[in-house]
This record gives sequence, C-alpha cells and structure tokens, in this order.
Amino acid sequence: MHMTDALVSPAVGLAMDVVAGAVIAGTVARIKKDQFADKKVPLMGVAGALIFAGQMINFAIPGTGSSGHIGGGILLAALVGAVPAFLTMTVVLTIQCLFFADGGLLALGCNIFNLGVIPCLIIFPLLVAPIFSGGTSRTRLTVGSLLGVILSLQLGALGVVLQTLFSGIVELPFTVFLATMLPIHLVIGVIEGIITAAVLSFVYAMRPELLGTATPQNTPPSSKKLLITLATATVIIAGGLTWFASTNPDGLEWAISRTTEKTGTQEPEGATGIHQGADDAQNTTAGFPDYSLPGNPDNPAGAPISGLVGAGLTFLVAAGSGLVISRIKKRGRVTVDA
Amino acid sequence: MPDVSARVRELRALDNLSLGDTIIHRLHPLVKLIITVVFIVVVASFNRYAFVSLTPYLFYPFILMALAELPYTVVGARVLVALPFCLFAGIGNVFFDRDPAFTLGSLTVSLGVLSLATILLKMYLCVMAALILVATTPFTDLTFQLRRLKVPMIFIMVFEMTYRYIGVLFEEVRAIITAYRLRSGATKGPHITHAGSFLGQLTVRALDRAERVHVAMRCRGYSLRASDRPKRPLRASEIIALVLVCLAIIGLRFFTIG
Repeated sequence: MHMTDALVSPAVGLAMDVVAGAVIAGTVARIKKDQFADKKVPLMGVAGALIFAGQMINFAIPGTGSSGHIGGGILLAALVGAVPAFLTMTVVLTIQCLFFADGGLLALGCNIFNLGVIPCLIIFPLLVAPIFSGGTSRTRLTVGSLLGVILSLQLGALGVVLQTLFSGIVELPFTVFLATMLPIHLVIGVIEGIITAAVLSFVYAMRPELLGTATPQNTPPSSKKLLITLATATVIIAGGLTWFASTNPDGLEWAISRTTEKTGTQEPEGATGIHQGADDAQNTTAGFPDYSLPGNPDNPAGAPISGLVGAGLTFLVAAGSGLVISRIKKRGRVTVDA
Repeated sequence: MPDVSARVRELRALDNLSLGDTIIHRLHPLVKLIITVVFIVVVASFNRYAFVSLTPYLFYPFILMALAELPYTVVGARVLVALPFCLFAGIGNVFFDRDPAFTLGSLTVSLGVLSLATILLKMYLCVMAALILVATTPFTDLTFQLRRLKVPMIFIMVFEMTYRYIGVLFEEVRAIITAYRLRSGATKGPHITHAGSFLGQLTVRALDRAERVHVAMRCRGYSLRASDRPKRPLRASEIIALVLVCLAIIGLRFFTIG
C-alpha cells in the first residue's frame, strides 16, 4: 500500500515530507544520546536488509491459493526497539522508492508516516510494548503482534485514503475507497500478524535475549521529545493541509460534494447566507470553479482533438529524439573502435 | 516461489549501470538530485486531466535514457511495480467521472478515462525520473551528496548498510529456500506454518551477523564521524545546465498544447 507520486499532489506530498523530516530529526537526536548508538547502526542496517530479504519469501496460505509475507514496522520495533525501528523503516522505504520503484520521492513522506510513524512510533509504544512488557510469553507475543500489525495496517490504509483524497486526484468517493481499503488490509494484517507472531515466538524460543532491546526500559512509551516532535508534525500537517484546502478547490470539499451528490443528500446546513457568500467568493476566485470542467471554455482537458494530436506528436518527437541520440552515440563509438 | 536470484541480479543491475561513463553519469550528483526533485514536483502539480499538457515531459526520460545509454529492459520493467496500486486507485475515475471530455468520431472519451490516463502518465514520468537518478549515480556518490546536504550521519550509515546487506541476506534467503525445496518436493512455496522457523532462523542469523559486523567495524576504527573525502566542486557549466533544465521543466508547466 505504498503511495505513489502519481496519486499525491505537491501540497500534500511536500507537507508530509516536512513532517517526516521533522520526525526523523527528532529520532536521530534521540538515538545519538544513546551510549550504544554506534552499536545500533549495524544492527539497524542489517535489520533493514532483513525486512527486504524477509519480504522475498511468500508463504502459501492453505485453502486460498494465495500467499503472504512479512510487513515490517512491528517486527522491527520488537527486534531493535521503537525509535531505531522507525529510522530503519524510513531507510527501507527510501530504498524501495529509489531502487525498486515502490512508492515515490514526493510520496516518501506519506509512506514514512503510514508505514513508519504509525507502526513504530504510535502503535508499538502505546499498544504492543505494554502487552509484551508484562513478562514475555508466547501468548503475549501472539496477541501483541496480531493486534499491533492489524491496527497499524488499518491506520496506514486510512492514511493512504486521506492523503489520496486530499490530493484530489482520484474520483473514488471517500466511503467507497475506505470500504475497499480497510477490509483488504484487515486480511493482509491478519496474515502478517500471524507471521510476525511466529517469527517473534521462534526468536524468543531460540534466543530470548535478542528481544531484550525492545523491553520497556529501553523504549519508554512516550518521551517528551517524541511527543513534541509529533505535536509539531501535526501542526505542520494541519497547517499544510489547511493552506492546501483553501487554495485548491479540489480535495476534501470536492470529495464531500461528490458523495453527497451520489447519495442524493444536500450539502450540510443551508446553502444560503454565509455559506452561499463563501461559495460565491470561492467560485469567483478559484481557478477551476466547481463543475465547470466539461464544455467550459477553460476546460482543463484543453481543446480536444488538436490537443490529442499534439500529445501524439510530442510523444513521437520525444521518442524519436531519444532514438536519434542513441544512434549518434552508437555510430560515434563504432568510428572510435575502428 | 519468487526467484530470489532474479531479484539479486535486478539489484546489481542498477549498481552496474550507475558505474557507466556518459555525460549524465559524469554530471555532479547534486545537479541530478535537484533536477529529479524539481521534475517530480512539477509533474505531480498538474491537474487531473492534464494528460495532453504532460506529454512534453516525455522528452525528459527519453533523452536522458539515450544520453546515459540505459537499457529499457532493466529500467522499464520496474515501472510496472507501481502499476497495480495506481490502477486500483485510478480505475474508479472511469466509473465515477463519466462526463464526456471530448469525442473522437463516434467514440466518446470520458473525463474519467482521461484522468486515469493522466495518473498512469504521471506514474511513468515520476518512476522513470527516480530510476534514471539511481541508474546514473553510484550509490556512494548519492550518500556522499546526502551527507553534504546535512542529512544526519546515523541515517546515512543505516541507509548504506541496509543497501549493502540486502544482497548478502538475499543470498541467505536463497540458501534457505533451496534447502527447503530439496526437502519438500514440488510445493508451491514454504507453508505458512513454517514461517516462524523460516524467518526466525533468518532473523537470528541476521542479528548475529550484525554483531560480528559491528565488531569488525570497530576493529577498523569505525565511529559515527563523517569520513573525509574530497568534495567535488560544482563546475560553472553544471550550474548553468542545472538552471536551464529546471527553468525548462518549470517553464513547460505554464505552456499548454492545443
């Protein structure tokens, strides 16, 4: 459920990038204070690679013909501690976006928030660590991992839906989008949760001391700094989104008007008075006033046929120029060789 | 069962490509980094129906791929990774946005189809931009540049180590999978009931390796300080190229075809 650049608007993407950057700075500062910081680095690096390697193995799920693999956040947090796990997850997501085309540079902040902040810095310290802390046992490991993974994925999916809707690029109504994303991720969450629990139980049985890094004294559920960072992040998100919502006629407002139109209900609370005034003001100031797209002189689709022909020609010229450059380069090499 | 060796090769392929020696490879990493980010942000800033206005940006991947002599077989295949989610999220547009955009003879193209096409084009452009960056910039140059941009040392070190160890752990996965295959007959893949021992074993091995790596690094004088490496200065021509390309990318934003 990686967000991609194509589905995110610059306002949402950059706002989330700033948030992610702030959280990273906060967590780096925390790790630096740790007297074993230099030891944490190789541990985090190898753990990051472990997530990649682990995701390579798809386990057959009996009776379904499908398969599942591990997720990341909760397993990492249990192995290396919440704060290092977050940083590791950030690295994993950056590599996925750069080298595996999974996610995107602009959408990186969204992905770090959905798959890093949520599982490692919210769900794990607040929910999973307390469950684990009351004396480690198989049951506690299973319940904690299952709950943790499922909740992380549900919140992450909610994040994806909200970020996509605020970006105003897809037409799916909020409810429909959410109603598809949440059940899918519930299923994925159960499978990932089971696998995470199995791995942690195995590691606990084999080498209980490896899970020691995640014990509560090493990861206090809420350090002041972390809370401050998250609070700042929230303010930036809220600020960014408000600015976005007020400058862009798309996004939430559009999502709401879409859903109300579908269900036949009116926009909440009379369209007269102040609301009407605000609507009028927005319609005159906004670049693309509501629903003026088709058949309007400033239809963003541009003049239809001529535009399409132009697009086709552009494509041909672009591809052609690439081809010409390749040819010239090849010819140049042949003459040099000869 | 995934072909692990194929994934290892896939990863190495980009690494090998980045060692090429073309005009794009020789460009200062900072220039490439800035241009890539500007390109992606500008492309993402187009509205939902801007398919036509976006097509001039196709020059960017086509020309760079040619100049950097990158094969489409390695880079192009990765574009497909982002496809499923984009299709999943974008396909709804076709059903929910049925107002006609324009007609081609008797065929009416709806705004939904147009916006789905726009999403796919944006996806192609953004993925290509990022891939071209990493396929023309050696990994060490990239992280060195991040260091100069004041990205925290800890982050960069974890970044480097993760990247380097992916290949190593992939080899371990391959060994485990081969062992499993040889003993389990023609199964589709490891059964989910074996997930614990399968991944658990891998985890234990990986964490032990981290311990050994740490000791080895300490023996060689590792600390959390930045390594000294001569800075590569920006040439005047590179600064001019950077400004011109960025101006072109941003300028095209205000130019519409048709």
